[in-house]
Amino acid sequence: MGRLRKKGQAGAAKNYITRSQAVRKLQITLPDFRRLCIWKGIFPREPNNRKKANKSSTASTTFYYAKDIQYLLHEPLLQKFRDQKVLEKKISRALGRGDVGDASRLERNAARPEKTGRPPYTLDHLIRERYPTFVDALRDLDDALSMLFLFANLPSTSSVPAKMIAKCERLCLEFQHYLIVSKSLRKSFLSIKGIYYQATIQGEDILWLVPYKFNQRVVGDIDFRIMGTFVQFYMTLLKFVNFRLYNSVGLVYPPKFDQTRDESAAELAAFTLEGTHTVMTDTPKQLTSGESDQAPDPATQEAVNKLIKKMKETDVDGEDKAGTADDADKEDEPTDAIDKFEPSAPGGDILPQPTDTGSDTGTLFANCTFFLNRETPRQPLEFILRAFGCKRIGWDAVLGDGAYTTNEQDPSITHQIVDRPIIQAAMEEDGNAEDNQTSQKLASNQRIPGRIYVQPQWVWDSANDEELKRPDLYAPGAQLPPHLSPFVQNVHGGYDPTIPLEDQEPEGEALEDSEEEEDEEEEGEDDNSLAVKKVETPVNDMDVAETDEEEVDDDDDEEPGPFGGFSEGEDDMEDDDEEKEEDEEDAELAYQRDLIAELTGQPASQKASENPRSKAKAEARKKLSAQAKDEAEEMERARGMLSKKKRKLFDQMMYTNNKKSAEDEKLRAKRRKLEKQKARKPVA
Amino acid sequence: MAGTRSSLKRKAPPAEAVVETAFHSDDEEFGDGLLEGVLEGDSDDSSDDDGDDADIDEVNADLENEEEDALESDDIPTDEEDADGKNAAEADDGPKYRIETDANGGTRYVYEDIVPDYDSDDTDAQEPVNTIGNIPLSFYDSYPHIGYSIDGKKVMRPARGEALDALLDSIEVPKGWTGLTDPATGKPLNLSQDELELLRRVQMNEVPEEGYDPYADTIEWFTSFEEPMPLSAAPEPKRRFLPSKHEAKKVMKLVKAIREGRILPYKPPEEREKDEEEEEQLFDLWADEQQNPPNIDRISAPKMAAPGYDQSYNPPPEYLPTEDEKKAWNETEPEERAKEYLPEKYDALRRVPGYDQFVKERFERCLDLYLAPRVRKNRLNIDPSSLLPKLPRPEELKPFPTVTSIEFRGHEGRVRSLAIDPTGMFLATGGDDGTVKLWELKSGKQMDSIKLSSDEPVDAVRWRPGKDASILSAAVSEDIYFLVPSYIDPELHQASRDVLDAGFGYATHSQQLMTASGARKDPPAKWTRPGTRLEDQGVLLKATVRSPIKVIHWHRRGDFFCTVSPSGQKSSVAIHTLSKHLTQIPFRKLPGLAQTAQFHPSRPLFFVATQRTIRCYDLQKQELVKALQPGARWISTFDIHPGGDNLVVGSYDRRLCWHDLELSNRPYKTMRFHPEAIRAVKFHRSFPLFADSSDDGSLQIFHGKVTNDLMADPTIVPLKTLKGHKVVNKLGVMDIDWHPTSPWVVSAGADGTCRLWT
Repeated sequence: MGRLRKKGQAGAAKNYITRSQAVRKLQITLPDFRRLCIWKGIFPREPNNRKKANKSSTASTTFYYAKDIQYLLHEPLLQKFRDQKVLEKKISRALGRGDVGDASRLERNAARPEKTGRPPYTLDHLIRERYPTFVDALRDLDDALSMLFLFANLPSTSSVPAKMIAKCERLCLEFQHYLIVSKSLRKSFLSIKGIYYQATIQGEDILWLVPYKFNQRVVGDIDFRIMGTFVQFYMTLLKFVNFRLYNSVGLVYPPKFDQTRDESAAELAAFTLEGTHTVMTDTPKQLTSGESDQAPDPATQEAVNKLIKKMKETDVDGEDKAGTADDADKEDEPTDAIDKFEPSAPGGDILPQPTDTGSDTGTLFANCTFFLNRETPRQPLEFILRAFGCKRIGWDAVLGDGAYTTNEQDPSITHQIVDRPIIQAAMEEDGNAEDNQTSQKLASNQRIPGRIYVQPQWVWDSANDEELKRPDLYAPGAQLPPHLSPFVQNVHGGYDPTIPLEDQEPEGEALEDSEEEEDEEEEGEDDNSLAVKKVETPVNDMDVAETDEEEVDDDDDEEPGPFGGFSEGEDDMEDDDEEKEEDEEDAELAYQRDLIAELTGQPASQKASENPRSKAKAEARKKLSAQAKDEAEEMERARGMLSKKKRKLFDQMMYTNNKKSAEDEKLRAKRRKLEKQKARKPVA
Repeated sequence: MAGTRSSLKRKAPPAEAVVETAFHSDDEEFGDGLLEGVLEGDSDDSSDDDGDDADIDEVNADLENEEEDALESDDIPTDEEDADGKNAAEADDGPKYRIETDANGGTRYVYEDIVPDYDSDDTDAQEPVNTIGNIPLSFYDSYPHIGYSIDGKKVMRPARGEALDALLDSIEVPKGWTGLTDPATGKPLNLSQDELELLRRVQMNEVPEEGYDPYADTIEWFTSFEEPMPLSAAPEPKRRFLPSKHEAKKVMKLVKAIREGRILPYKPPEEREKDEEEEEQLFDLWADEQQNPPNIDRISAPKMAAPGYDQSYNPPPEYLPTEDEKKAWNETEPEERAKEYLPEKYDALRRVPGYDQFVKERFERCLDLYLAPRVRKNRLNIDPSSLLPKLPRPEELKPFPTVTSIEFRGHEGRVRSLAIDPTGMFLATGGDDGTVKLWELKSGKQMDSIKLSSDEPVDAVRWRPGKDASILSAAVSEDIYFLVPSYIDPELHQASRDVLDAGFGYATHSQQLMTASGARKDPPAKWTRPGTRLEDQGVLLKATVRSPIKVIHWHRRGDFFCTVSPSGQKSSVAIHTLSKHLTQIPFRKLPGLAQTAQFHPSRPLFFVATQRTIRCYDLQKQELVKALQPGARWISTFDIHPGGDNLVVGSYDRRLCWHDLELSNRPYKTMRFHPEAIRAVKFHRSFPLFADSSDDGSLQIFHGKVTNDLMADPTIVPLKTLKGHKVVNKLGVMDIDWHPTSPWVVSAGADGTCRLWT
């Protein structure tokens, strides 16, 4: 006999540790523990058996892996936390003694620890630890970006220092600059929550949400200390990510930051990008060209754009070549492009190769010059336009510094983004009177010829579809087409608003629909044929009753009782009987209808012509319902043969599937209704 | 008379003194009176004898007088002082004893009580201390005294003033009066001048001791003055007079650092702030990145779901909620909502408001990231219909018997057994009336009826397999009869006769079995001709065993058959060889009563069912292969699937168990569809059907499909319950048999009929 094994000495009881145990083991306070967990990415675990992990106690607690906590013990930050605690004690003691000078000295020393020989704590090592490769870091960038963009838009409070906000904003703008230069922004979506952006960097899709530029409402109990801890980590993360990304495109990080321009709300334009090569120095000038600059012609702009892409290429004839077609360029590049493999001899399998479609998304707006009206959101528009290749964006002076032009009448402007209703003539003067604060010299309703006026949604829809949309659909004051999320992947069978209804509705729904239509048509046709309708409605009722009866029959058959045999033949016979009955009923109805028609004095032929159509439909419906019934019966039978476990699983799956399909059905029904209304409106 | 003197010194307020003395004197008088009584008694006795008493009396009188003087004059008449007075008087006046005459007339010295005083040895005792202990004084309310002193003397109650005196007291309070009563003496507690002074000092936070100077000059025991004589005579070292080189070095270092600008003596504050900002170092963190091995413990946080169509600021109209949906959304708790937002449509981007839950949602996401336990969940992304087993369609299950097409009537009493001949044309039945009847199956015509016994029932009828001969075996009690139907064509008839007769020659040539002792052993069965009456009817052979036979089962080749006679102890199972007229008893011992036995349809295996188990023996190796345990209490019957790998067991406790021989000893499926005992189970030889019959008068038809695929389980589908037989004496359907080629089943009922179900 082996040694007796004590309970709670091995297994789950040893592998898991509760939070209070962990805090006690690390000898730190709970807030410090929380910070450590956030930074180290340690999260609670759900043990397979809570009771075993909790040593038979039933109290609800959070569990951590004991190994995780053990690993926290070696964390250098832990010592820093303790030092910090000691310092705080010293300061509070000095203050208690009334020794303000001493306290301030201690605080000052802590603020510049390198002078006092104590290095400050940074989170660099944590980032390397949590993201061993750069791709790992990119994968986790979603939350970081959403958080930093939110903080960049927050007002500064005691819990959120202004310095932190400024830093967040700077990091975000730097990241946006990278996206513009590398042209890696793919999609964007205007939602009710904010603006979603999706970028693809090194094959990783990064999706983040930027709030609209409003003062954020802080509701409920939101602990900004927790968020601050996250932001601290994310700032360090994005700093290193930015550094690497800038290096990867041959730019110097950090880019030069112009404080004065930033103060005049230049945002993106406050940064001056510098290439590691001398050639690169002229590109930022173009990027941030002020209003005094002449409009550079698109061809050279494109050339510069190309230059950014191929950093190393410094030969002089690059500019000449830039004007030529893309294909020529591709041939010149020996490394970047994928070679096309053509089968030299027949008989081989063809392997799929990715086509290089990424390049044209970056030049979507390359040939356009935009002007943003003062009511449009400047920051998102500027970012998305630049990310999709636009180089010249002007805006009204009230929107801030950094515009290509603030003159609305600049002849180089090709597109103007407007987000205001068409103002009536009477309102015009008022509009003019208000305008004196802006540089706008035009009357609000006046249009400059040769320019396309569009609403902001045009930019988003064009960017998502990678083509310039028809501007007339997005004209100011027009009813905009729906703005669809580019992130939805349509699954087969699910509802897709882009496809016409007829193509996606199942047969049964279509039939029902047409029947309803018919009813409605009849309603429209003759209001005085109420009697006929009254007769018709019972038909439906009877149908329902029939199905009920059948179901009851089925139940009888499948009763678990002593033994449910198969009386298929009988059933069939019953069915046949019923069908016969129905036919008889139909005939009767037809006869009745004719009689009524005679009474009312209407020609009976019309009904006769209508009759076959409805009859055919009814038959189709009957067939469909019978088929559905058969299928359901079959499924029920097969389900009965499953083991209990499998049956449960099956039921769960069916539940979720049904829920999904019910939602789709609802959407289809709504759309059908709307379409009908729309169709009827012109008539009415 | 120190006491009197001191009291005289005081300027006593007369009223107080008067009160006090009044009380005192009363008590004193009272006490004295008592004492006097005693003394007087004494003196009365003694006065006659002695005249010396006069002295003492005088002394006493003196004392009393003196006392009264003192009392009159003294303002604080304490006991102490009284005692003092007495002592003093005694000390002054003479001997401390007086001489009395005792009862015998002798002299007796009566000493005065020793009053402890400063004069006496006992210096601590101050006054008569009340020794009553910790009891309330109210106990003594009705007595003149308030307790007893250490000597056992009564401590008298101190004098109390009358109300008027008390009033006077309250008007003029004597010095040192506290208004407290000393609990020990019961007298008012007064404080002296010194005591009051002490209290005052304590109250004023002064040093209690008078004349103590807390700030007295220190006495310098050790002085800083240089003594004229030094301890060491060494001369002062030179270094004391030279500037320090070390210090100069340090200063020079500082100077150099300042000159070089390494140390700034003063830094403007804004510069310091700048310092803070530029502290970040930037480097490529992932310069030497290397992939960590994937760790199953690290579960990365799930990404936020991408927005759908309904989150758009301008969604397609069908995504907008209806009024009802809006209402329902508003009424539900925020935690219970399926979506945290309501889709809304804005006709222009400028109309879109800020999302008020933005910060909250981000915060909740943060909480999720660090507080939520992460669990890896496998999401099954499979079509649910792939889980369903492939059931045969009801149409595919056909054909199976559904209705009675022919009813065979003719037996009196129960029909015990029946069998369809291998050609499928004839039916043989055996019943309680001891007859075997032969029927044409398709027409229901009775072809023949042979009475084998007048009193014993026919327990089993079985056809010999194979179409080369047509032989029916029937078991009546211990006898097995073999008969050849008369109606068949002569060639077949002859062949059948030959088969039956072949054994006679063999039997005569074979040696007789001998026991060990040499005596002729009784053979397990006797093979004989049944007699002319029966031989005329086609019964050609009879084998008699030791005990009544209930079951006959033929081997597929038609040469062997086994019989089971449950009551036949050791020889319950017998294997007979028709061609040799030989009978063997394969089992000397069986665990339990043998119920039925069967040959395996293809392999040389032999199955014997006892009450609880079914044992499978290999006939060649002569060993036990397998023991199945269907879990039934009492097995009634079983049948082996023609494929040979499956087996169906019926039992008297209403179970029908399907065994897969490859799988396990336990049943693959157990069916309990019958309310009464199951009598017979049969597989169809070619269709995937099997049927059982029960005492409830019904047959149940199942679809039982076995595939060659080892992985696929057999499918069993209940098909039909056939009802028609009447239940007689709690017995329903006794036996069933399938048609060899068509999906027809025949059943033998206890009501004396047989039915063909098609």
